[in-house]
Amino acid sequence: MRKIVLFGYSKTGREIAKLLLNDEYEVTIIDENPMLVGLANEEGFFARHTTLKDDKVLVEVGIGNGAEVLFCVSDDDSLNLFVTLSARNLDKNLKILTKIIKKEDEKKMLLAGANRTISPYDVGAAKAFRIIQKPKVSKVLNQLSALKNKISISEVVIPKKSFLDGVHLSKIDISKDTNLIFLGMLDKELGEKFIFFAKGINHKLDAGDILVILGSRKDIRIFEEKLWKLP
Amino acid sequence: MLARWIVSFAYFLESSRRYKRVKTSIYNLLENPRSKIKPYFDALIIFLVVLTVSILIYDVEHRLPYHFEIIENIAISVFIFEWIGRFWISANLRLRIIKYYERKLELEQKPKFFTLLKIIIKQKLQYIFSPMSIIDLLAILPTFRTLRILRIFLIFRLFKIFRYTKSFNSFFKVLNDKKFELNFLFLMGVFTIFLSSTIMYVFEGGGENPKIHSFMDTIYWSFITIATVGYGDITPVTLAGKVITVFLVAGGFLILILSTSIVTNAFSEKISIVREGKVLTQIGKLSNLIVIFGFGRMGQILAEELSKGHKKFIVVDISDENLAKAKELDYFYICADASNYNTIDNIVFNNDVKKVVLTTNNDALNLSILLTIKAKTKDISIIARANSYENIKKFHIAKADHVIFPYQTVAEVAVEYIGNSVKFDAIDNILVQKDSITIDEIDIPDGSEYIGKNIKEIGMDTLGVTIIAILKNGSNENFVFNPSPETYRFDANDSIVLIGEEKDIFKIKDEISRQMI
Repeated sequence: MRKIVLFGYSKTGREIAKLLLNDEYEVTIIDENPMLVGLANEEGFFARHTTLKDDKVLVEVGIGNGAEVLFCVSDDDSLNLFVTLSARNLDKNLKILTKIIKKEDEKKMLLAGANRTISPYDVGAAKAFRIIQKPKVSKVLNQLSALKNKISISEVVIPKKSFLDGVHLSKIDISKDTNLIFLGMLDKELGEKFIFFAKGINHKLDAGDILVILGSRKDIRIFEEKLWKLP
Repeated sequence: MLARWIVSFAYFLESSRRYKRVKTSIYNLLENPRSKIKPYFDALIIFLVVLTVSILIYDVEHRLPYHFEIIENIAISVFIFEWIGRFWISANLRLRIIKYYERKLELEQKPKFFTLLKIIIKQKLQYIFSPMSIIDLLAILPTFRTLRILRIFLIFRLFKIFRYTKSFNSFFKVLNDKKFELNFLFLMGVFTIFLSSTIMYVFEGGGENPKIHSFMDTIYWSFITIATVGYGDITPVTLAGKVITVFLVAGGFLILILSTSIVTNAFSEKISIVREGKVLTQIGKLSNLIVIFGFGRMGQILAEELSKGHKKFIVVDISDENLAKAKELDYFYICADASNYNTIDNIVFNNDVKKVVLTTNNDALNLSILLTIKAKTKDISIIARANSYENIKKFHIAKADHVIFPYQTVAEVAVEYIGNSVKFDAIDNILVQKDSITIDEIDIPDGSEYIGKNIKEIGMDTLGVTIIAILKNGSNENFVFNPSPETYRFDANDSIVLIGEEKDIFKIKDEISRQMI
């Protein structure tokens, strides 16, 4: 079970909670607003009404104490900033994702220690723009998500001693025998920089690198099984 | 008998396609604000007006060469053609006659000749005596001059220019709202001038002042004084005259100040309306317009993207604070209440709008706009933002073409971050943050060299892009996911959905459009 802390049961927080509702994750929901805490509990999540202004509480919910990811998505920008800062102070390796409202706040949040920022309005606008500018892309994306065996994008870590560990990209055709699209990879050595495969870059794969692949869940699972099968 | 002829002639015209075609082309030339040819015709008219008036001025001191008459004749023929054209299209007489006839038919009465005549004459007279028609006629009539003095009426042609400037109309519209105040001031002015000139005439008109010979002289004097011009050609000589002058100057000052402030006020009050009128005229000329309701965070980013993509759009919001940004970036914007039917009518229905995006944070307002538009037409595609999960369904019931629930999409992006497999829909947002890689579409038009070839033969596998799917026939719902580079062969009207760097995708698009030439 991966431990995840979700700060803020805002509209965004609520949708994140829904997506994380499975056995893989242990999600702790925290909110300062008792109304939202009540709503979360009503909807079947376990939520706590507390403030994260105190570092003790942060440790108590798992920051620097087993939690892997922190989502700071409350409706209060300054509170998000404060919690991001305190959490980063407690745990250098914690993945922190913070919600922003204005683009100008992005730098501030990154400086405070967030790994990445997200804005519902940016995302919504991008989606509306795509529908206008690239109607066929939206159509295909909608169709793909509506398929029975949903097509999704996934990040797969290359395990040690697997058949991909240590090979050169140019030497093999990884997409052979799979109905998967290999978009690119995040290289550990290059600080998780995204490398786009289609550019034909000759690159050596190592254990720990993350492949970004596209395909149906079933195909991705088959690929993962193959990857984990040790020689 | 005559009535029968008129009616059957109306029916004949109604059924004649050529008649309608000619009439439409005349309408496009003269009146249709959206036609492409009208601006050129307007420019021609203005040019002719300026030219003939310049000739008139030149004529005062010089003898005109003979061929200058030809220019005058050409100009006048164009003016006459214009007036007759407008006269012709001013009212749809045949439809009125047919309507009248059919009503009579229902009542089982015979159409009366005189009633028909009355309809025709009334309609056409109405046009002849409309201000615009009078201006046109004044430009034409002085040509048939017998007296040289009538030449001066040629100057009325200048009025024709006003006909083509919309700002002039809005100027009068603005002043119209201050009618009461201006009328009052005008009366005050007339009263003051009359009073002072009478007093002056009584005291100085009897020979005391050698410059004053008649009542007209004192009126002239009052007017020059009240307007603070004060030429000084006529000055009061008696004490009474001087006292009157003091009061006249004071009164004149007041009237002048008041009228200035009234006019300025009227403009500052109406400046937004004048601006909006201008914006509406400008967008009226555009085709394929996109309307964005709500200029909050989401609307702003969308507008930014659209303007980067050179799409034409207009923003509607009620908050000045939000619109300040639109003003700064020089977008088309209108400050209006979108829950009002007139707003939607003016902006959406009266223009060539194909897409509407609702981005306000108020679901009730978004739904109200959506339903207003959908009730009138199904042709406008609407993208609506839902602000709460529970309302998504309502947007679908109201027939929104696309519903965006930003919080869910952003959650999908967020969850992707922790390495979970996510809905494919989020891919764009994931890629957006990685360099210049984008997801795009390329159409294969009929006649392209790519048809019948596979991906390898085209060489697309080495171009640095990844093909995700091929959409068959554009609108059709069948598509091929992850097409094989060897076995998939392109068809006409295929659309390729692919991921790659912007410049690489652009190269392919460029290549395809080059093939089509």
